[in-house]
Amino acid sequence: MDSQMMTGNLAAAWGARLADVDYIPAFPITPQTEIVEALAKWCAGGELAARFVTMDSEHSMMTAAGAAEATGARVFTATSSQGLLYAFEVLYSISGWRAPLVLVNVSRALAAPITLESDHNDVLAARDSGFLQIHAETCQEVLDSILMAYRIAEDERVMLPVIVNLDGFSLSFTREPVRIPDPEQVRTFLPPFHPAHLGFRASVPHSLGVAVIGGTPYAYFRHQMHLASINALEVHREVAASFEQLFGRRYDVVEGYRLDDAEDVLVMTNSCAGTGKAAVDAARGEGKRVGLLRLRMIRPWPADAIRGALRGRRAVAVLDQNLAPGQGGILFQEIAASLYHEATRPRALCSFIGGLGGQNLSVGELRAIFEQTAKAGVSGKGIGPVLLYTQAEHREMTQLQMVAAGSVKRET
Amino acid sequence: MYAVRFHGRGGQGAKTASRILGTAAFLSGYQAQDSPIYGAERRGAPVAAFTRFGREPIRERGVIAHPDLVVVADASLLEDPAARVSDGITDQTTLFVNSPLQAEQIRAQSRLRGRITTLDVTEIALQHFGQREAISALLGAVAARLAGLQQESLRQAIARELGDLGVAPPIIERNQTVALTCYGSVQVMERESVTEPATIATTFHIPVYESPSRGTARISATGNSVLRETGGWRTFRPVLVADKCNGCWLCFVYCPDGVIAMNKDDRPVIDYAHCKGCQICVHECPTHALVAEREQEGGVTWTAR
Repeated sequence: MDSQMMTGNLAAAWGARLADVDYIPAFPITPQTEIVEALAKWCAGGELAARFVTMDSEHSMMTAAGAAEATGARVFTATSSQGLLYAFEVLYSISGWRAPLVLVNVSRALAAPITLESDHNDVLAARDSGFLQIHAETCQEVLDSILMAYRIAEDERVMLPVIVNLDGFSLSFTREPVRIPDPEQVRTFLPPFHPAHLGFRASVPHSLGVAVIGGTPYAYFRHQMHLASINALEVHREVAASFEQLFGRRYDVVEGYRLDDAEDVLVMTNSCAGTGKAAVDAARGEGKRVGLLRLRMIRPWPADAIRGALRGRRAVAVLDQNLAPGQGGILFQEIAASLYHEATRPRALCSFIGGLGGQNLSVGELRAIFEQTAKAGVSGKGIGPVLLYTQAEHREMTQLQMVAAGSVKRET
Repeated sequence: MYAVRFHGRGGQGAKTASRILGTAAFLSGYQAQDSPIYGAERRGAPVAAFTRFGREPIRERGVIAHPDLVVVADASLLEDPAARVSDGITDQTTLFVNSPLQAEQIRAQSRLRGRITTLDVTEIALQHFGQREAISALLGAVAARLAGLQQESLRQAIARELGDLGVAPPIIERNQTVALTCYGSVQVMERESVTEPATIATTFHIPVYESPSRGTARISATGNSVLRETGGWRTFRPVLVADKCNGCWLCFVYCPDGVIAMNKDDRPVIDYAHCKGCQICVHECPTHALVAEREQEGGVTWTAR
């Protein structure tokens, strides 16, 4: 089947449809709503044999999703930003139940102040919830990652839920060609879901996520979740090979772009990595030895793959599209920790914060990152966190502050 | 530092006793600390509380592994492994048990080490207050005496702690009076400093991954609550006076633990291995056919109502 133009949201809906899910609890939120609208239409039209239920909130939605998954149903749901945070406590229950559903998060910056466009403080807030996290760069990768996510999540060695993340607007509402995999081949790739530890039979009751009231069993079960999550690295490798064999597209836990002889490497995630790759090409055109490492799997943290890609480089820059107030970039901290024990760790680590709330990332800004990173590599002194904030942005901001303060009067 | 561990059942006042002791030590000019630990807050379930005091700042917190003094509010806890009364008790530990039995009888029954002393605090509470729960001040008094604190600090500590619980001043005064009786009655053991065993570094066991059927907090066995006998939670047991029973089944309906079955003559049959002694059946019985009898080592000796 040839490709067709579709948004990241529609690609996500197609992922759920091809995964032949049984149950979809839903609640709308911009920029995710198109996903559940598409699924609602297909459920009504009979293209998808799933039960679609609209809920009263994301908290109820995630509770219903986890409970349904615990009965042995294959469950899909989607949310964004405030919705993810409203459902937050339930995420920990679902991973504790080892209920391997797939949740799509369409990244949107968190209020206050309110904005609708993307950054990653929403999805990264869930990084310790026990959900695995796959962050997609393209609409095609959104669809493919959902299929891979079910296969990884439902593996006996993992049995943990997965968040597949896509950026609001730059993927969710952006159309580009996407190949829709053949449903028969998907059935080969993703067999029916028959979990040994989940299921519902009224005559054979069992309790899930019971109160243990004590640190010893609690510590054991939390640690089992950690081991399960770590297992997902190996399972991802197997699943990626199987996916490539059937569909011809290859996804690894990290993606290296022009890394071979790169002195300096920029680390990015999600859709803006495309802009990063374009900037690498431009810099390479001028003879600069730079490359890009895109983190695709954030949980489990692919430490070995990251170390393999970054050891021996002159300098590494991490571009975080998030900001932990009082700390800095979230991924920068994790990258720095991963490199600490490397004998040949980079001479300088640089932290950049950009693309907050959908703030534009220009090739010029990326060029500035490369220049500052090269300088840091030569001097052996890392920098940051540096906010990517241009002079033009500052002029715009000053104007807005004047309007907000009442200093700009309408001409009469 | 002097470390006191209290063992009791939910509702007996072990936590308040630990606070009375903590406040008494504080008022005596010591550095002091007290804290409870419990799971679901259920009447009758085992609870523990800890009081530390000394001249130096107290750095450790939480469970007391090597107590100088252990106060057991309910002798049935000695038989309940979940209560872990015997943890860290050495020959130097002072062990107080609320029981009508002599120390030697307790030692023979429980095979516990430690220097044992007893007093029937529950009987004293019943005589003075007519109810079994109100023993926090009395336990605090026993602990204060064994820990070497003065009467005046104890008296003030009881007023503060029971006052915080909203107990009326006349009741507080009676508690103070009865507590001082206990203070004077308990056999004092010479305080001996407990030497903590030398610490060796722990050997860790690193768990491996197990399939989710084992590695998830999931219970698939049915009917396993029968394995956890809770009859020891009782201080009083419901007993049927057969000729008063009208066979109305209300006790069966009200029992929160499902331990009352009805026989073919419509008479209740109580599963004493699991009855927690909540007395709801006694309270609800319209014909007073169920009465509460005090549990006592060696047989029932006291009957309420």
